Amino acid sequence: MSSPVAPQFQPVHIGDAAEPPLAVAPDPASLFARRAARFRDLVPDHPLGPYLAFLGDLAGAQAAVVADLPPPSLPAAEQMERAYEHGMAPIARASVEVDAAMLDTLSRLFDAAAGMDMPEASAAALAGVRAASPDEMRQMIGNVLEDALPAHELAEHVFVAAGLQVHFARLAASLAAERLSSVADGACPACGGPPVASEVVGWSGAHGTRFVSCATCATRWHVVRIKCVACSSTKGIRYSHVEGTADTIKAECCDACGCYLKIFHTATDPKLDPVADDVASAGLDLMVREEGYRRAGFNVFLAGF
Amino acid sequence: MLKEISRRRFLGTGSAALAGTAIGAFGFDGVEDALAASIRPFKLAQTSETRNTCPYCSVGCGIIMYSKGADKAAGKLGTISFIDGDPDHPTNKGTLCPKGSGLLDFVNAETRTKYPMVRKPGSDKWERVTWDYALDRIARLMKDDRDANFIAKNQDGTTVNRWLSTGFLAASATTNETAWMTYKVVRSTGMLVFDNQARV
Repeated sequence: MSSPVAPQFQPVHIGDAAEPPLAVAPDPASLFARRAARFRDLVPDHPLGPYLAFLGDLAGAQAAVVADLPPPSLPAAEQMERAYEHGMAPIARASVEVDAAMLDTLSRLFDAAAGMDMPEASAAALAGVRAASPDEMRQMIGNVLEDALPAHELAEHVFVAAGLQVHFARLAASLAAERLSSVADGACPACGGPPVASEVVGWSGAHGTRFVSCATCATRWHVVRIKCVACSSTKGIRYSHVEGTADTIKAECCDACGCYLKIFHTATDPKLDPVADDVASAGLDLMVREEGYRRAGFNVFLAGF
Repeated sequence: MLKEISRRRFLGTGSAALAGTAIGAFGFDGVEDALAASIRPFKLAQTSETRNTCPYCSVGCGIIMYSKGADKAAGKLGTISFIDGDPDHPTNKGTLCPKGSGLLDFVNAETRTKYPMVRKPGSDKWERVTWDYALDRIARLMKDDRDANFIAKNQDGTTVNRWLSTGFLAASATTNETAWMTYKVVRSTGMLVFDNQARV
């Protein structure tokens, strides 16, 4: 029987419309635990196995300390408001104060890491940072936040950087992510830092869109796909992956600036972690570098690589 | 542009002498060599992703075409392996209708028209012809038809200049300029039976 009433217009949902937010704040409580698990998953039969196991333990230590730290102090409300309003990074790395919470985070992480199984060189570096005076520690924090890692104390600085990852993830988690705005090509909208890698996500409401992960504060920000994260060129973008392996990890190579950033298809493989899988896929870096591309992503665990 | 934090910057700030990697600094000797050795049997596979517009209708949905095997230097075209809605496109936001979802079969269809073809009167098969032949023939037939059937004035003697015996259907996925040009050319002949993107 046909209805006497005219049919009403109703949109037909033929797919999941993607409306990605500009930025997604990290969840420190799960971030490091998830990363530790991923590092450990990657260990078996991997040429970097021992290093991945070590980083898994370090991420485990990051996860262990994150729970009961004192609240970190954000920059002054007025300064934050100005940053939000004028499209600047509210927790810009240069403007974040070295406060008691930051120093506490670092020392707790170093204490947690002390029980880890590690080579002598690492143990010596860890002993070095545990014994460092507050002034030396401030100096190292300054170096890390300026991306100026001195070669003769590299391991010490990477330990400090691991602590700062915890601190900045907690700072970023307390921001109003919806108020962040794009600050510059390839710069994190929360802390202004460089990216580590990017992901094509499978999140509901943002399916198939690409988010770039910050190497420092783990904020993820949306960048249009098929576009160089470093220089925003859309010409001459190619994707390289290791033949015969899963094509969920690719290097997005840009002929305009000669850089590449890895792109993980987490929609296909949700286990991928921007930091852990970046280290584990270092073989791809070696191969892409042979083709003459330079790495645009920064990962402190691959510093100098 | 993103500040590059590469080996160069790293070396620039390091104290002279040997600059190692974090892996080496942590005392994991040998794993980098193992990594370098492990990639030797492998080579890189190249793929590309290309933005385009779905050619079916006037909605103009964004699509991403995934292809492999293209080699610009050798002038070799790649093969398209997958087509998906463009999640960054403001119109369709990553979605595609059933026709758009079938684009891959449309691109790779064996029956796809790739060059001008003609089925002559009385014939039962299509033959490939040159563009020159096709365009000359279309122009000739249009001219003849227009000459025979053009209506300059209606019964009341009002000038109408219409040509009703031929129609024109133009493509959907065209640019604004193409649509404008098509409209001007076709309407200037007096043709009324006409549709293209410009109507929408």
